[in-house]
Amino acid sequence: MHVLGVLLPENQLVKHALTHFYGVGKTTALRLCARVQIHERCRVRNLNQSQVTALTAFLSSPANSPPVAPHALAAPNYIPPALGQPLPETEVPTPPDRLREIKIESDLRRQMRENIAHQRMIGSYVGRRHAMHLPVRGQNTQSNARTARKLNRVERYN
Amino acid sequence: MWPTAVVQGGRSAWKGPFFVAFPNLKHALENNIAIKTQARSCTILPNFIGLRFMVHNGKDYVPVTVTQDMVGHKLGEFAITRKRFTYKATKNK
Repeated sequence: MHVLGVLLPENQLVKHALTHFYGVGKTTALRLCARVQIHERCRVRNLNQSQVTALTAFLSSPANSPPVAPHALAAPNYIPPALGQPLPETEVPTPPDRLREIKIESDLRRQMRENIAHQRMIGSYVGRRHAMHLPVRGQNTQSNARTARKLNRVERYN
Repeated sequence: MWPTAVVQGGRSAWKGPFFVAFPNLKHALENNIAIKTQARSCTILPNFIGLRFMVHNGKDYVPVTVTQDMVGHKLGEFAITRKRFTYKATKNK
């Protein structure tokens, strides 16, 4: 199944398949599942249409997704209202929603390129090392440093 | 995903950024005098913009002019400490 142009293998658990997105790891995948109410043991082929729609809607713009209503935790001395009575309205401060701040795929790549371009523009050591295709954080360069030679560019794509 | 961590650079929020209080900053800014310093780990604060620094790189002092975009970085990031390798042909052979 393709979601936003990324192939999610049918046979995998959703929490594992979601890590195929650039910028989604194990933890974020689990939180995404919880947000759009997909069971932890659900596989991609078992997703129904509404779940796929919800997932696509969330991932296409995490920042614009509807906020989650906060619920107060019950204290030990909590007495529930009588049956049939509505729950009392309580003021709950909205916790920061980190899942709405995630960036995936091209957004994340663009952010990374902008960060490198910023370092290069102000002429810092990090920017210079990127331009020289060398390791940035003080690693040895007498041998190895192959990953840096492959990846470190001013216009970096992966 | 953790914006505060990026801003603080792994430092506790209550401490704030590390910086060195340079004397007579205003005087240096008005007269365009370069401030000679060895404090490479001093964070560039917004009131440093436009100042000229001479930052020590271990051997001598490298001129650094602070611009708007450098705020939040360290002074030492702009004074490289390593010499580029250059091949020298041996004489007397």
